[in-house]
Amino acid sequence: MIEFRNASVVAASSDAVLLAPTTLALSERRVSVIGANGSGKSTLVRLVNGLAMPTTGSVLVNGRDTRRQASSVRHDVGFLFTDPSSQLIMPTAIEDVALSLRRTIRDKGARTTAALTALDEIGLAGHSHVSVHSLSGGQRQLLALAGVLAVNPSILVADEPTTLLDLRWRAHVDALLDALPVQVIEVTHDLDAAERADRTLFLDGGKVVFDGKPSRAVALYRDLMSSRAEGRADA
Amino acid sequence: MLDAFGVYHPRRTPLHLLPPWVKLIGLALSAVAIFILRGPTWTLVGLVASLAVLASTLPPPRPTLRGLWPIALLTVLMGGYQWFRGDRAGAAEFAADFLAVACLALALTTSTRLDDAVSLLSRAFRPLRHRISPDSVGLVFALTARAIPEITTILGDSADAARARGLAKSPQATLVPAAVRTFGWALGVGEAITARGLADDPEPDSDGETPEDTRGNVEYPRRRPA
Ligand SMILES: Nc1ncnc2c1ncn2[C@@H]1O[C@H](COP(=O)(O)OP(=O)(O)OP(=O)(O)O)[C@@H](O)[C@H]1O
Ligand SMILES: [Mg+2]
Repeated sequence: MIEFRNASVVAASSDAVLLAPTTLALSERRVSVIGANGSGKSTLVRLVNGLAMPTTGSVLVNGRDTRRQASSVRHDVGFLFTDPSSQLIMPTAIEDVALSLRRTIRDKGARTTAALTALDEIGLAGHSHVSVHSLSGGQRQLLALAGVLAVNPSILVADEPTTLLDLRWRAHVDALLDALPVQVIEVTHDLDAAERADRTLFLDGGKVVFDGKPSRAVALYRDLMSSRAEGRADA
Repeated sequence: MLDAFGVYHPRRTPLHLLPPWVKLIGLALSAVAIFILRGPTWTLVGLVASLAVLASTLPPPRPTLRGLWPIALLTVLMGGYQWFRGDRAGAAEFAADFLAVACLALALTTSTRLDDAVSLLSRAFRPLRHRISPDSVGLVFALTARAIPEITTILGDSADAARARGLAKSPQATLVPAAVRTFGWALGVGEAITARGLADDPEPDSDGETPEDTRGNVEYPRRRPA
């Protein structure tokens, strides 16, 4: 359960409002977040695992305040980035997943076994000792996901996880995310994926302008985008 | 590009079988010895022995030769600087010594799992744990190892882009975008480290609950992929 209580974000440098005060409770299994470039999607989801802190108000995850219990919130909330190459640190797949497990499993043998299991579950067992550099973009994103899931988060936040992938990998990652037994909050420009959610947040200009049924949110978003495109053509 | 360069390769050479701490101490002692022992004979012995040690780990030949290029270039630049300052014998010796230590460092990284090296460093720094977190020392080591191929790739890409724009002669056209991208990459990594909880203390939060109690109370059924 994720709760926004009047949470807003104001840029420290310029006083620009990146997210207007927002109050929400997200308990749906699949939540998609859509909106134009710069509309505040990343700003909103980064609040969920304490990557960013609200300027006013608060954000609670399973009853914990992201400000006061940041470390335990991060334990509950995994975060998948668009570009896996910044997320992957160790030179081989298995070492990278093991790195995630360092905090929870102190015994090295047990850690390696757990890492191998995590890789196996995502279909990368055959690449466990391969250099991260030699993996394809899609495989790297899977590896990043394995590292996140290895620590058993109850919520996964994904900020455009399929934007850099080709169609085949996109379908594969979509299917994997779909099958996860955890709550998934996904920012996406892929409107088909957005429509498959249980609930959609549509952001514009740093505000949640629609919150509800995915098909309705996507229709509104398409309308807004085409009217802006016409405006630009007229100007 | 730098695919497998300097990365651990599972083999069964004597160096692979040595415990990592022996190798690390060995590297430190050899480096000191190489720079302390002066004179052409010792320099040559050091260089040949180091190359032999590197060869004994059976590194993959192509990526290693390709990967040695930047090191060779650095050696020539630093040696060249001393040459330019008039110390010819010193320049040659310094260059050879530097190359020898680089080869030994490579021998260490190709024969040791980074995970082992990180654990070793974490343990070595444990006595100082009240001042610096031992895990963060290990993490810094891992990140340094990770940054080298990344920055090399970024430099290569930027040089290509500069060439494509017909700016091959201008160093700025390569270096400025490369610096910007490196900075962006570093920011992204920093963010990912935070997101993965790697920067947090391993101790439980002050509320004292174990990680198991912190799971959400909602259980979602597993959906089959389409
Ligand atoms: N530190 C900052 N200072 C000032 N403005 C910022 C800062 N960080 C982000 N912004 C601005 O905040 C706005 C919202 O950014 P955000 O990254 O949340 O957008 P987004 O919806 O994720 O966009 P995209 O689809 O491009 O990823 C953008 O206009 C961005 O330029
Ligand atoms: Mg974004």
